[in-house]
Amino acid sequence: MSIIQIKGLHKIYNPKKVPVHALNGIDLEITEGEFTAIVGPSGSGKSTLLNMIGGLDSPTEGTVIINGVDVSTLSPKKLIDFRLKNIGFVFQDYSLLPVLTARENVEFIMQLQGRKKEEFKKRAEELLREVGLGDRMDNRPSNLSGGQQQRVAVARALASKPKFILADEPTANLDSVSTSDLLEMMQVLNKEENMTFIFSTHDQRVIDKARRVVSIVDGKVAEDIQVEQEMAQ
Amino acid sequence: MITAISWRNIWRNPTRSLVIIIAVALGLTAGIFSVALMNGMTEQKMRTAIENQTSHIQLHHPEFSVNKDIKLHLNNKAEIEKILEDNPAIKGFSSRTVAGGMLASSRGSVGVQLNGINPEKEKQVTAIWQNMIEGDYFEGDSRKPILISQKTAEKLEVKLRSKLVVTLQDSEGEIVGAAFRVSGIFKTTSTTFDETQVFIPKKALQDLLQLPAEIHEIALVLNDLEQVPIIKEELQKELGESVKIEDWKEVLPELAYLSDATVQTNVLFLAIILVALAFGILNTMLMSVFERVKEIGVLMAVGMNKLRIFSMIVIETVFLSVSGSLIGVLVGVALIKWTSQEGISLSMFAEGLASWGVSDVIYPTLSAGFYIILMFMVLITALLASIYPARKALSLNPAEALHGLNN
Repeated sequence: MSIIQIKGLHKIYNPKKVPVHALNGIDLEITEGEFTAIVGPSGSGKSTLLNMIGGLDSPTEGTVIINGVDVSTLSPKKLIDFRLKNIGFVFQDYSLLPVLTARENVEFIMQLQGRKKEEFKKRAEELLREVGLGDRMDNRPSNLSGGQQQRVAVARALASKPKFILADEPTANLDSVSTSDLLEMMQVLNKEENMTFIFSTHDQRVIDKARRVVSIVDGKVAEDIQVEQEMAQ
Repeated sequence: MITAISWRNIWRNPTRSLVIIIAVALGLTAGIFSVALMNGMTEQKMRTAIENQTSHIQLHHPEFSVNKDIKLHLNNKAEIEKILEDNPAIKGFSSRTVAGGMLASSRGSVGVQLNGINPEKEKQVTAIWQNMIEGDYFEGDSRKPILISQKTAEKLEVKLRSKLVVTLQDSEGEIVGAAFRVSGIFKTTSTTFDETQVFIPKKALQDLLQLPAEIHEIALVLNDLEQVPIIKEELQKELGESVKIEDWKEVLPELAYLSDATVQTNVLFLAIILVALAFGILNTMLMSVFERVKEIGVLMAVGMNKLRIFSMIVIETVFLSVSGSLIGVLVGVALIKWTSQEGISLSMFAEGLASWGVSDVIYPTLSAGFYIILMFMVLITALLASIYPARKALSLNPAEALHGLNN
């Protein structure tokens, strides 16, 4: 089942002064349960594409339909609510709130959703155990390693029960062991919970694990490869 | 959670937060103390004026306050005094005969108001007897004693037991005079009062004026100053229109204006301090927002709406301001409590203060109500100071903010 449909997507920055064509007509469809890597050289437009899919930026032309909703037509207020309910974010530099503990970082998203205290407390503990941080729940980000912080970020992204998770270069700041652990964890979540993951990455280790690799060059889809499942394992 | 995040956020940079908290605390301590000092001066001036001049309420002939004609005396004296004696709210009263006249020594002369008083009754309403610095308060055996102030004694170059000649116009319009002997010298905190008032026995003045047993003024003191409006109304009903009843504010309207003006000046003074502090707070919050552009972008991305982001910045600002204010108020209260016991000596400004009717020892004072107004003002200041940083945070584009850019 298709959860993201992108049609004729264009993004031009500074259209009146010095136009920069970041995206030049992208058509893309992502179905539920995919483990997709979006790759491409710097400046190719992959971060812009991720911003469009995440409803963080609006297209100059074209549509981004998520779960049947054209996000490019939503007002900023509705867009924030839409993101909160439908999209989980994982960032390159983890981007946890430094003043909150791991547990509080995960709980916070559910509080924003207005969930009951007992519910979000229980789910935060479950998620942190699931990502292997059952014994570090009450540590602040500054007391966790990069790999552990990124696991908290994944738990936070999952907390809102999103339709998919957007991960912008999630392994860029991690060592090989942490990268391997994180990817393994994401693959388990993808397989067992059918969670859709979309990455932008340069990291070959991530590309090797992806089941679909979309290559962006000069704001266009240059290649869209479905990798054999066995190979991706 | 937003409240907890806001509180923890202000301690992310403890040095910066402490600097602004201390600045707010110092500003408010200084402001509160200055206001308390001003209040202390004003209250002292009012208390001195009430104790020495106006008492709580004064009774006159209806036209006497406009035209100080000695013929405008109170006609139904006995009836009035009976009503006053029967009123339990009245602590004491004193009937006076008053007239303007000239006081002369061999070295000079001054214009004064002569107050003919019953010394014992006067003790109940004014504090002149407590302000004697030489001689006594009509206790000697002098046949025609007069109490003058130290200022008047200096002007006329006289001392205790010196002879002074009083000259005035009697009720028939004739110029009359009599010699008095200085039996006591007083000194109050008001130079103006000291330079214009002298006291002689009531009978002596009545004889001079040829107004046997007539009085122009009754000054009275109540058990409770707060009851002045009620008793004034009560007396007006009982005594009718033949007697003009004025409270201390009406007798000396400038005192009432001073009281109101002091409150307004104090509020304005603190408002100026708070405006200056608001810019400090605004600067701190702006720095804090600009340092967290990426973090705010993340919060927007993960679904924190604008109202919550706005609230977070406002709450941080309120925490910063209120923390500093509470410290400032506590230090201010302690300082006022400490200095109000012994008073603050401003002896180097004694002359200037005396001409304003205040002693050179000031007792700072501040009412509880003022602290409530102050905290309200602090809250308003914090809210105003938070608007610009909060709007800056809201103006961020999440996609740009995530890459650490701000517009």
